[in-house]
Amino acid sequence: MKLVDKFSLWFIGVMIFITPITAYICYYNLEKNINKAEITHLKELNVRMADRLSRGEAMNAIALKGTNLEVVKLAAALPQNRVQVQKTDNLEEDSKGMLSLLTVHSYFDIKGQPYRISSYNYIPSAKQIYSVILDTVFWKLLLIILCVAITIRLVSQRILHSLRTTMKTIQGFNVKNRVQFSRSNTREFKELNSFLQKMTDKAVDEYCAIKEFSENASHELQTPLAILRNKVELLSETAIEEEQALLLGDMQNAIEKLSKINRSLTLLAKLENNEYTVSEQIKFCKIAKEVLAAYEDRIEMKNISVRTEIDKGILLKIHPVMADMLMNNLLGNAIRHNVQDGSIELILTQKQLTVKNTGLPPVMPTEELFQRFKKSNQCSESVGLGLSIVKQICEVSGFGVSYQYRNQQHILQVDFQPRTREEMKLNRQDNLAPALV
Amino acid sequence: MKVLAVEDSREIAVSIRDFLSREGYICELAYGFEEAREKLALFTYDCILLDIMLPDGNGLELLKFIKKEQIQSSVLILSAKDALDDKISGLEGGADDYITKPFHLPELHARLRAIYRRNRLAGSNMVSFNEITLNTDTLEATVNDIVLDITRKEFELLLYLVVNKNRVLSRQSIAAHLWGDYTDNLANFDFVYQHIKNLRKKISAANGADYIATVYGLGYKFHATSA
Repeated sequence: MKLVDKFSLWFIGVMIFITPITAYICYYNLEKNINKAEITHLKELNVRMADRLSRGEAMNAIALKGTNLEVVKLAAALPQNRVQVQKTDNLEEDSKGMLSLLTVHSYFDIKGQPYRISSYNYIPSAKQIYSVILDTVFWKLLLIILCVAITIRLVSQRILHSLRTTMKTIQGFNVKNRVQFSRSNTREFKELNSFLQKMTDKAVDEYCAIKEFSENASHELQTPLAILRNKVELLSETAIEEEQALLLGDMQNAIEKLSKINRSLTLLAKLENNEYTVSEQIKFCKIAKEVLAAYEDRIEMKNISVRTEIDKGILLKIHPVMADMLMNNLLGNAIRHNVQDGSIELILTQKQLTVKNTGLPPVMPTEELFQRFKKSNQCSESVGLGLSIVKQICEVSGFGVSYQYRNQQHILQVDFQPRTREEMKLNRQDNLAPALV
Repeated sequence: MKVLAVEDSREIAVSIRDFLSREGYICELAYGFEEAREKLALFTYDCILLDIMLPDGNGLELLKFIKKEQIQSSVLILSAKDALDDKISGLEGGADDYITKPFHLPELHARLRAIYRRNRLAGSNMVSFNEITLNTDTLEATVNDIVLDITRKEFELLLYLVVNKNRVLSRQSIAAHLWGDYTDNLANFDFVYQHIKNLRKKISAANGADYIATVYGLGYKFHATSA
């Protein structure tokens, strides 16, 4: 429900609650005042009549005919209450009940003779007043609801304009760029904007700090690594015994691994920061062939048979360094985890890249191998970041990637035009199934 | 060969000097931008090893200075930054090659020799040692004037060994030299071993001496005096 609708509903609810109360007050006052005015008027008439009587004018029934006065000589003494008011509804002559008859009896003592002077008049009946008020209230309520419904939208567009701008700004927010929120003269929006301004500025600052950290970490770690490696190299050329040579060899292995981990983690950080953004398309088929050539000698040594199906003119929007790394990791894995005299199939089409290779069956669900430091063989020499890098590259480039093990073959597939996310998820679940069985 | 190493890390700079002086090179060190500029103004060098991140300036600026002053030295950039931009701007700025830290010293030496051959020895493409001759242009290797039937990788390996003769070459360094970035995922030692084995076989088939020896636990060594 929109904010404006909520406000409208509340307002209309209040109106519906208030209206009967005001209608009653209106009715009550109206009736009271009409009666009061009429009674005063009739009283005066009676007094004037009494004056005339006291001046000796003869007031018989004939003289009073056609007026709304009645003069009666009383045999009894004057009642205590000199003025009496009587109201009669349901008159015979008024079948619709629109009128009431208001009669005022005044008692006078004129020259020792007690008189009762009565005057009367027709006034609108309570029912009549009531129906008029109901009518008015109905129209009033209707008009208010209509006006509110129509104008609130126009007004809210103006009042909520600032909120809308803020929402638009926040939607387009990216940690890489600072955003400026618009000014508003509404206090709440002012507070919201200043809060969001602080929050986004902080996010941008943090992002910059992390980015700087990953850049610095790479540099700061690489220098001591370089020192370590070079010193071990120099040390290994001095006169050393077998025992020391073995120790140095182990150190060299560790340094090598450390340097690879450092490089991979820095690379992953860079990928996450979207530092390899591209606008140009490159020939992916060319890169695939180049990387394959770089591994040629090792493929031969492991006596792996390679079958390639590489279509021509495959243009992809991907950074050349990333394309190279993607192929490098996929092919490297296919060779590394292959068996002697195994086989590799490399199929590259406009839609997807598939690398199939023989190898030992996976010991864990294949999808889990995309996680960092997950290895099919935990004590193996590899770092366990290759597939994480593959996944990250695919995510950055908007490709889909899946890993299945079928018919004794590891199948890694990169979809250049992935379908909707839902379909991808389904697809992924399908892939998981055989691995789990 | 006279080399100037511009490197702010003293430990790395000293390692480079120690390694290169064993080859008989004269290696001078500069730890900062200004120091390097002074040395370049006063002396001439065959080759400059240039770190990009310097405490008092950027190595790329120094490269501009070298080009502006028309100093004829070859330039090899050393960088801890894996950043592609540095590499491109370095090479576009007139550097001859680029090597990323942490590098292997024999690799640095091999690169240095390669650009030295190209620039200083008037593009000489022959590297020879005793009966072995390597043509770096045609990738042809001869032993006793017999052309060896070797692959490109085997040629690169032999060249690396000859350039770094009498040095212990770790298997890691050989793998990095042969395959560069394409080594991360592989158990490279088996492949290095196989390449070495094949190379030895082919050299001895041409009646070459067996210069290549295994250094237990560490790697391989090309003995200048055959074992």
